[in-house]
Amino acid sequence: MAFQPKITAFVCNWCTYTGADLAGTSRLQMAPEVRIIRLPCTGRIDPLFVIKAFERGADGVIVSGCHPADCHYNSGNYHARRRFAIFRDLLDFVGLDPRRVIFSWVSASEGGKWRDIVDSAAATIRELGPCRADTGDEGRGRLACAS
Amino acid sequence: MRELRELAVRLLETSDVQVVIGWEESRRGVRPAFAQTPAEAERLVFDQRCVHNLAAYLHPRRKHIRGLGRPAVVVKGCDARAVAGLIRDNQLRREDVVLIGVRCPGVWAENKAEGQPGNRRWAERCVSCPQRTPTLCDYLIGEDSPEPSGGPGLEAQVERIQALPMAERWAFWSSAFERCVRCYACREICPLCFCERCLADKSMPQWIESSPHRRGNLAWHLARALHLAGRCVGCGECERACPAGIPLSILNARLQQSVRERFEFVVSDDPVAPSPIGEFRVDDGQEFIR
Amino acid sequence: MARIGVFVCHCGENIGRTVDASSVAEALRSHPGVVHAEDYRYMCSDPGQTLVREAIAANRLTGVVVAACSPHMHERTFRKVVAAAGLNPFLCEMANIREQCSWIHEDREQATGKAIAITRALVEKVKANTPLETIRIPIERRALVIGGGIAGIQAALDLADGGAEVVLVEKESSIGGHMSQLSETFPTLDCSQCILTPRMVEVAQHPRIRLYAYSEVEEVSGYIGNFEVKVRRKARSVNETLCNGCGACTQACPNRKVPNEFECGLGKRPAISVPFPQAVPNMPVLDRERCARFMAIRKGITKAVCGKCAEACTRGAIDFAQEDRFVTEKVGAIIIATGYQLYSIGKEQPEGEGLSGYGEYGYGQVPDVIDGLQFERLASASGPTGGRIVRPSDGRVPKRVVFLQCVGSRDPSRGIPYCSKICCMYVAKHVMLYRHKVHDGEAVVFYMDVRAAGKGYDEFTRRAIEEEGAIYRRGRVARLWRDGDVVKVQGFDTLSGEPLLLDADLVVLATAVRPQPGIRALAQKLSVSCDQHGFINEAHPKLRPVETNTAGIFVAGACQAPRDIPESVAMGSAAAAKVLGLFSKAELEREPTVARVDAAHCAGCFLCERVCPYGAVGRREVRDRAGRLVKVVAEVNPGVCQGCGTCQATCPGKHVEVQGFTDQQIYAEIAAL
Repeated sequence: MAFQPKITAFVCNWCTYTGADLAGTSRLQMAPEVRIIRLPCTGRIDPLFVIKAFERGADGVIVSGCHPADCHYNSGNYHARRRFAIFRDLLDFVGLDPRRVIFSWVSASEGGKWRDIVDSAAATIRELGPCRADTGDEGRGRLACAS
Repeated sequence: MRELRELAVRLLETSDVQVVIGWEESRRGVRPAFAQTPAEAERLVFDQRCVHNLAAYLHPRRKHIRGLGRPAVVVKGCDARAVAGLIRDNQLRREDVVLIGVRCPGVWAENKAEGQPGNRRWAERCVSCPQRTPTLCDYLIGEDSPEPSGGPGLEAQVERIQALPMAERWAFWSSAFERCVRCYACREICPLCFCERCLADKSMPQWIESSPHRRGNLAWHLARALHLAGRCVGCGECERACPAGIPLSILNARLQQSVRERFEFVVSDDPVAPSPIGEFRVDDGQEFIR
Repeated sequence: MARIGVFVCHCGENIGRTVDASSVAEALRSHPGVVHAEDYRYMCSDPGQTLVREAIAANRLTGVVVAACSPHMHERTFRKVVAAAGLNPFLCEMANIREQCSWIHEDREQATGKAIAITRALVEKVKANTPLETIRIPIERRALVIGGGIAGIQAALDLADGGAEVVLVEKESSIGGHMSQLSETFPTLDCSQCILTPRMVEVAQHPRIRLYAYSEVEEVSGYIGNFEVKVRRKARSVNETLCNGCGACTQACPNRKVPNEFECGLGKRPAISVPFPQAVPNMPVLDRERCARFMAIRKGITKAVCGKCAEACTRGAIDFAQEDRFVTEKVGAIIIATGYQLYSIGKEQPEGEGLSGYGEYGYGQVPDVIDGLQFERLASASGPTGGRIVRPSDGRVPKRVVFLQCVGSRDPSRGIPYCSKICCMYVAKHVMLYRHKVHDGEAVVFYMDVRAAGKGYDEFTRRAIEEEGAIYRRGRVARLWRDGDVVKVQGFDTLSGEPLLLDADLVVLATAVRPQPGIRALAQKLSVSCDQHGFINEAHPKLRPVETNTAGIFVAGACQAPRDIPESVAMGSAAAAKVLGLFSKAELEREPTVARVDAAHCAGCFLCERVCPYGAVGRREVRDRAGRLVKVVAEVNPGVCQGCGTCQATCPGKHVEVQGFTDQQIYAEIAAL
């Protein structure tokens, strides 16, 4: 059976979640691998979520929220941007392929952009292959690994 | 040495300082000392073996040290940066501590006595130390000395690893983290790990698996490093304390590099400089965001 | 033990076409903790809702997952249903298997599998949910209005007429604002004071309005429904209760040579004065900078000098020793209506504003170069010339007046890129006023564009051109200078392409509209934001024009952007309506999804305080039984917190949690996916 990646998306309630809803309302077809977890704001999205998602078998992660200056909470996305800039550098440094973590700004009106993000994330992760089971502790979960 | 002891005695005798935190000789090299009397102050030493970051004794988690009374602390450049960090993070008030700055010559990799292995090799961090002489201090003693040299320095180590192919970086770090026994010595010795209850000790939910296998180890080391972004003073104590020889300093240094390049922030001993986490600029770079 | 019920909706064909809802229910039935799972054609319909209610009762459910459409669609609906069945509404979650599953996938097997996964994740989340209670905050039904110009007056009167108590703070000694300085108003040419002063009197006499004139807002604390405002009542040197406004003191004052600010420097006033005869309150202020008595004290003369005003006052109201006083008022809402100032375009500009001034126009040096407000005073029947339009230099009637539009506005290279909006209209009005008074006079207008959008506005400017014969020249003026008796105007007509050099008797500059000088400091006190020019930011440029980003604080008039009178009045009324809406409830109800600090483990680093976009994080001292300080911890004000959760992601130990999105809940979802 072909590899079907697991991709977890952490999105803010106001922009990207609504944008993903819009994609649905517009009946835009997209890759089925992405599962959305709704948070109030990108400011709420913790690098720990991403680490945990990989530990629990995700092959890729999407983090998405309101564009700069559009944050429902004024500045949550700016704090998130700093946090994830550093986190991404760290992942890259320890050899966890940063292409597995996709960051984007998707507004409530960008259903099409959301579809594109989902499709390209799915394509990228399919190409990269699974995050290899690498825990020495099969069955309880997998650990992200460089491809 | 004379200068240090005289100052320590004077502080204990004539001011409201009740304890001077510095170093003294022990059988296995120098060790941290807590001089509460002039006689004890006469035993204080300072030289290249004084590797410990004494700021770690100042944060509120060390209640027993606070119980000794108002402290004066001997600080090298890196120690002063740690004190500034504690002040910045509201763990210490500047007026509650007297700082005896020393013009640091750089320290050896270990605190061993003369003639023992580990002696006379500069600690890696000292080779590329951004500021050996503290500016955050009440007194400044000692003499200027030439810059430590030899060895590649931390920056070069970071560059070396960053230049490896991704799979090799992963191999390097996963084999390093695999050795971790989760003793948390790195956390305990860190002057800036002051949480009353560490994230790693929480079980509801357990973000960081507690048993020492690769999964939890990766989460622990990533989380620990992230918490130090824009805060790590580069004292290298975590790495020195690590029984598994994990090159934590390199990980820390990479993040400080990231913070410097992205947010133009360098950790200093200025206690009012805002740290980059908790701030933002509307025009922060976002080349990684689609 | 969790007893979760799962309700899978077909949404007719919307979900059912690609997701096999009964398989989803079937799969969930065997999920740990799920004691009930069923599917139904329309879960949001009456029978569907009944199904949910009955299942909760029958199975003693502790949590509900409705697998249907987006929570944005029906979360409220189903939370109400759950509440009606006696379960806490926050124990209900929606699994979005329509917008984010059935509508975006064609393959039935894949879509059904994904729907099962989504629903499982929400079941895991709901197991970690806790009952939450709506937060209720008492509301102080009084409002503070800052600024007594027309916007503030309108807001105050509407509020007071609507039954609310109002505290109106005005920094000048009288309310009325810039409108009280205007001669006539466009596009109807009715007299400004005639329509304004009755409103001012109404304010003064209204039983529910407390007016603090000659006062400023010193400090603001608290949050929506519960602000505490400290007002500085500046010393007038006049006892407010004794003074009856007879004006004897102003007659007696020997110093009659003080430049009159109300007349924009075109007239003189005594050192103790009221700004204009219809002032509200009609009570003088003693200008200590200009009073002989205070000047003598500053020079170190100990003997009491002058005191003629006190001698003239029959009621003993003059109080030389009066000091600034402070009063504290509790209010539930605040309206900012501080208005504007005109850009004083002289060469010298205050530092840090990024403005360079327009030295080449000689404003402030050439007496016959004046700004729009000065022209208003010249044209005003109550002005320094009694309404005769004459030159400030020699009192001669000007035979040619040149008006310059867009002075300082729409000039990004010199600091102000925006259009000041009101100038096109008031220049047209000035042309008319001038031509009505000087029949043989010639009015020349230099403009960039004529922007006359508004009811009756374009007709008005057309009239100025077609009936009053104003000569409109499209182009900018490069330089103004005095040449003997006249002001030379060097410009360029961009339509004809010819350079122009005119001799003008009087030049009127329509200078840019800017916010009041203290606006940034005030905004900081109120925790609201300004744009780069200092105008107060509204919460949403289209949908929330009179709200600010801080709950309970509203904005009206020209402090938000250049505004004319009808707009300022409309905004004042709109802001008042918003406040009255807020006050219509006894208590403010807020979603309980706000952050809460675990004080036992908070280390007090206050990173949360720094990242909070709302200033909702405060500090609280924790003491032991003996009263000794143990530590200082963070504390979230639930009345201010909006629940974004930036604090939680920033907290190193995760000791602050957003209710409804706790780490435990998110973890459960991650682990289940």
